[in-house]
Amino acid sequence: VQGPAAAATAPVNALIRSVLLQERGGNNSFTHEALTLKYKLDNQFELVFVVGFQKILTLTYVDKLIDDVHKEFRDKYRNEFQQKGALGLLNGTFDFKDDFMRLLRDAEESSKVRAPTVMKTFEQSLKSQKTVKCMIETRGEKPKEKVKNKKNKGSKKEGIEAVAAPGKASVGEKQPSAAGEKEELTKDEILQKNREEFFKRHMKAGEKSRSPKPEAQKEKGKKPRVWDLGNSNAKVLDYSNSATNGSAEACPVEEFDPDVALGDRNREPGRLYDLEYESDDEAEEEKVIQNPSKPSTKKGGLGGMFGMLKGLVGSKSLTREDMDPVLEKMKDHLIAKNVAAEIAVQLCESVAKKLEGKVMGTFTTVTSTVKQALQEALVQILQPQRRVDVLRDVMDAQRHRRPYVVTFCGVNGVGKSTNLAKISFWLIENGFSVLIAACDTFRAGAVEQLRTHTRRLNALHPPESHGGRTMVQLYEKGYGKDAAGIAMEAISYARNQGFDVVLVDTAGRMQDNAPLMTALAKLIAVNAPDLVLFVGEALVGNEAVDQLVKFNKALADHSMAQTPRLIDGIVLTKFDTIDDKVGAAISMTYITSKPIVFVGTGQTYCDLRSLNAKAVVAALMKA
Amino acid sequence: MAGTLEPHLEALRRELPSPSPAVLSVLLALLAVAITFLIWRFVLGRRSSRKAVLLLGLCDAGKTLLFARLLTGRYRDTQTSITDSSAVYRVSKDKSANVTLIDLPGHESLRLQFLERFKAAARAIVFVVDSVAFQREVKDVAEFLYQVLVDSTVLKNAPALLIACNKQDVTMAKSAKLIQQQLEKELNTLRVTRSAAPTSLDGSATGGPAQLGKKGKDFDFSQLPMKVEFVECSARGSKGEEGDADFEGLEKWLAKIA
Repeated sequence: VQGPAAAATAPVNALIRSVLLQERGGNNSFTHEALTLKYKLDNQFELVFVVGFQKILTLTYVDKLIDDVHKEFRDKYRNEFQQKGALGLLNGTFDFKDDFMRLLRDAEESSKVRAPTVMKTFEQSLKSQKTVKCMIETRGEKPKEKVKNKKNKGSKKEGIEAVAAPGKASVGEKQPSAAGEKEELTKDEILQKNREEFFKRHMKAGEKSRSPKPEAQKEKGKKPRVWDLGNSNAKVLDYSNSATNGSAEACPVEEFDPDVALGDRNREPGRLYDLEYESDDEAEEEKVIQNPSKPSTKKGGLGGMFGMLKGLVGSKSLTREDMDPVLEKMKDHLIAKNVAAEIAVQLCESVAKKLEGKVMGTFTTVTSTVKQALQEALVQILQPQRRVDVLRDVMDAQRHRRPYVVTFCGVNGVGKSTNLAKISFWLIENGFSVLIAACDTFRAGAVEQLRTHTRRLNALHPPESHGGRTMVQLYEKGYGKDAAGIAMEAISYARNQGFDVVLVDTAGRMQDNAPLMTALAKLIAVNAPDLVLFVGEALVGNEAVDQLVKFNKALADHSMAQTPRLIDGIVLTKFDTIDDKVGAAISMTYITSKPIVFVGTGQTYCDLRSLNAKAVVAALMKA
Repeated sequence: MAGTLEPHLEALRRELPSPSPAVLSVLLALLAVAITFLIWRFVLGRRSSRKAVLLLGLCDAGKTLLFARLLTGRYRDTQTSITDSSAVYRVSKDKSANVTLIDLPGHESLRLQFLERFKAAARAIVFVVDSVAFQREVKDVAEFLYQVLVDSTVLKNAPALLIACNKQDVTMAKSAKLIQQQLEKELNTLRVTRSAAPTSLDGSATGGPAQLGKKGKDFDFSQLPMKVEFVECSARGSKGEEGDADFEGLEKWLAKIA
């Protein structure tokens, strides 16, 4: 734990970057290389306390140490903090080293006392001092057994429970010792006594509720319990109408309206209409439908008023109890907006940790503070951690005379091929030539689909208008072949022919399908694409977490390199189908910490957008 | 019809020139309050607007250390900043002019948020660049600089911009001239790529309708509406932790704009 100060900066910076800034603050420990870092936030004075120790040591006194350090530091330098100036913080010499060493020594000693706990012999234990009579509690066998079990468990747990014990030791002195002659009670016995007291209290409280139970038990010959639904045989439970099974009348013939089903254009049967070409400037933007702002009359209006008055009276600090109902509501709100459940929980935990103990200003309610903090956290999550500029990278690759390779992966039916076509359209508009590699050799019609797209795109951008170059070409080898091999050949073909970008389309696969995940990982590891895009639909809910985690894990497991290629970015598709339930964006970026590169908002070539963090968060927070 | 209206008009006309003193006093009071409010707003706005100097830059550029050195002159171990810190900086001992230095975090997820918060109050911007890692990070530096430059508030206020090439004490540090050339080239390319990026979800284009510099020509820092200067400095100083930092250029510039 001792070490030069400079060695502390790197792990602390890592802690800051990965935990605090990514809102993973719910869990309060973090491992970085060989160190484990535990931290504590003081939100009143905006301090962060970090303790680092070797990962292999399991130091049990760390939590207590950090609490003690926090208290002492705060009390000692309270005046400096009250000044609230950065200048004060810079100038102040926080000579805390001696205090810290002292606290560290105390903590170590207290934990050392706990370490060797010899199992007490029966004579030593308090139990032998008591008479048998006082051991027998009100009810027969069960409570005594429970007490005995608790005692056994207690003595086993002594070695592990370090934190509670020193605290309890100071409290335990207050408890009168039953057997008065023993003046030196060891801590274990105090614990056991506390447990007995506690249990006794519970017994007395539970007496009334337990009284009907023994009477029921005393009945001889137990009667079979009649459950409502069980026991009765299946016939009673079968509510299905036995007549309709298989008969033709069961499902009435639907009125099939061919016009509605096939679209209302005057069609010539069998003709494929060309795509209406819209230039970029006139592209219809999918507006995130904003509900007309109703005058927000909050439901808890009265509660809000009182809270506001309380806030007016004095500056109160936020406690966990204040925040809990609000956080619950926000969590449910987030889940209603299609954020994955675990992510919503973690987010709310992190926000709670950030706000605990913070002093609210006047004229702010708890709800507004929490909402504000949550909003900032969400915007922070959606901000990309790295640059999102595909065109710039393509230009770079162009300068180095090698093609820029993008791979699309995802589960079945999310829109990989469609969005691949949209992205190639966008690239062509910007003057880059594209080679589409059809590495989906499994799904029927995949290659033909891409061929159709290629033809259309070439019709929209004929070679004549681009100096005789075909802007889009398809590289395919039919069905049933190895996808990784096709990808490799496509890339070398592109390099020879001077294509700027290679877009690799892969087959959709479920994240649980191990052989297919291995195949995908092999494709990515072997071909080393510049950009690995995970295509996910915005409709997905809790599945998003599972999909992304398993995809990343598969990519990491099957890669031979030191730093495996993971998912670099996310394409969020079918965004036009969700009105404002935009939670999937949050789930995906939270899990991977990678940015959302494109958003697909429709099925035409121009329906490609980039993410606007503020708009998405606004839609998310809207009631 | 006119007859019925006449007496009413007469009554009104009689009432107006001599309104009751209570009504008059109330009206005057309201007017006084309104005027005071407006004046106070105006003065406050005038005073607090644009008195701040923002320290921007990528993560690990050295902003927090620069901040500490400017204010206290001493070296300090710093961590990745999570929040902003602001303090009043006295430009020189004799002049009474002072500016508020604001050190903003450089981390990608925070930088835009804090920029939003403080950009309106910025009289000047110091963009700190890590001269050692510049070659590697040139695209990220350029992107952040681009985002700062096309921001509508920044374009409107046109605060003075100083690009401080930090970490000059390390031997591999690039010179300010080189950094300027590279940034100009990179920003030139960024103009094209950012405006060609897919439009944003709610319709506002990502690159902003503002076009950086003149359209036909290559990008040059002199084409910007604000004054841009390049200066070399070292927050750590050539003597390491004990010595002073060398940033006379920076201090002179701060004295100029204060």
